[in-house]
Amino acid sequence: MRNKLLFGRSIDTGSWVHGVDPRAKLTGMVLYLVAIVIVGSWPALGIAAAFSLAYMTATRIPLKYFAKAAKPLWVLMVFIFAVQCITVKQGEELWRLGSWALYTGGLSSGLIAASRMALLVSFTAILTFTTTPGLLNQGLAGVLAPLRRIGISAQRLTLMMSIALRFIPTILDETHKILKAQAARGADLKEMPWKEKGKMLVSLLVPVTVSAFRRAEELVLSMESRGYVIGAPRSEYHLLSWRLRDTCFVLSYVVLVAVVLSFRWI
Amino acid sequence: MAIVFEKVSFAYDERSLWRHSALEDVSLELETGVFAAVAGTTGSGKSTLLQHFNGILKPTGGKVRVLDFILQAEGKQPPLRELRRRVGLVFQFPEQQLFEDTVEKDLCFGPLNFGMGLEEARERASQALALVGLDDSFLPRNPFHLSGGQMRKVAIASVLAMDPDIIALDEPTATLDPQSRAELAGLLSRLQREQGKTVIVVTHRMEEMLPYVDTWIVMKGGTKVFQGSPAELVRESGRLERECGLAVPACITTWNQVAARFGLEHEEPCLTPEKLAERVVRLLEGHPQGNKREGGG
Repeated sequence: MRNKLLFGRSIDTGSWVHGVDPRAKLTGMVLYLVAIVIVGSWPALGIAAAFSLAYMTATRIPLKYFAKAAKPLWVLMVFIFAVQCITVKQGEELWRLGSWALYTGGLSSGLIAASRMALLVSFTAILTFTTTPGLLNQGLAGVLAPLRRIGISAQRLTLMMSIALRFIPTILDETHKILKAQAARGADLKEMPWKEKGKMLVSLLVPVTVSAFRRAEELVLSMESRGYVIGAPRSEYHLLSWRLRDTCFVLSYVVLVAVVLSFRWI
Repeated sequence: MAIVFEKVSFAYDERSLWRHSALEDVSLELETGVFAAVAGTTGSGKSTLLQHFNGILKPTGGKVRVLDFILQAEGKQPPLRELRRRVGLVFQFPEQQLFEDTVEKDLCFGPLNFGMGLEEARERASQALALVGLDDSFLPRNPFHLSGGQMRKVAIASVLAMDPDIIALDEPTATLDPQSRAELAGLLSRLQREQGKTVIVVTHRMEEMLPYVDTWIVMKGGTKVFQGSPAELVRESGRLERECGLAVPACITTWNQVAARFGLEHEEPCLTPEKLAERVVRLLEGHPQGNKREGGG
């Protein structure tokens, strides 16, 4: 289970992308999201894909890890593809089944929509793959800092976020351990029929929730015993410094958005 | 042979960037009905080794044979339910092993899975609880509200309730008070001697298991560095302490010093204060020379 879940794990290969300021990466990702939303034609998709591929290669992380990151969402992609195929009625008729017909326009926009989804998920994996959770939080705090003017504490938000992220692998591990304990006593999930499997997973919810609460309480105690007070001024262990490289990084995304946007009007 | 490992290797997260090796080329044989103990520093692969005994972990290289089950890296895995019935495994942390909302349900979980009726399972639960020294008043309680030591005992009882042929325990005496520790070691030894069970214990406190164990295994960095009888362990303890950072109990160190001084290396080691005292008395009576040397030193 653990090795299938790639979300929220950083992979250190020491590439230059790893060294980019997390605030720049976050900004870049938001711009990328904008670009992907704008993409509506094959040439634009091609450019976005080439751009993504270039950055993925630059991280020096094997490409299959990005593919793996997108894998859990395949059902959603198939769904998006199917919806487009069914609803869009443009272009030539390709295939007819009773009153419904598949058109070239539907097929094309379905493929584009599914690829956009795949690109988005696998590309944003760059963020989590190249940034340790700590840095990511610091970056997030930096990006959200202006919110203080409207009375929202960025520190509070990022603390919540970091704990949530930190707990995903922990809770999975915990679940895995309980599964192991159940397997050791004759209830192996792998060897059960589907109906039993469902029951078993439901019965897992109680112990896992209980242990999550227990862990949360322990965490609160251990943070408080080390003098953590929310909202109190804190110094940072790593200071973020914005360099020319970070500006260039963000600019490359601005260019991508501009190029993709231009395809909309040409 | 109850358990045979042939060049078994195991790596966590095999085929990924996080791969790390936990066992390397471990070969070992354990006879049916032995009381074996696995020692070694933390991270030496003891727990990983133990989890191979009932197929919770599958080797990534080599072959494991437990009773008449064969587990190997290649090929399809046979159904393991029967293996799990015959090999009971108590995990290192009891709070990770209990998952039901009452102690009774938790104790019955195993027996019910192996096709026992509810009445019989309850009977077994109560018996197993008595074995570890807890009474029936614990049955309706929530396992997560018990103390660490009680939780540990319930976890052990939940495995005993399945009446397995092989019992493997991962540091069962941790978090127990000294008296319970001694009782548990005694219980395991009784199960081994009277019911012919094979018992394998991972332990950090070698002295607790010393009187009962007949086969010692010492692990280091995922490899087996020693397997042998207590007498052999005593003889090689110096090397194991140096090379593997093994916490050799004081009684072994003391015996080795006595043995080196009086030339008793080839004798059966005396590892309890009483036995050593008797041996020293015999030494004083039988060897006046030894007496003189001792007086001189």
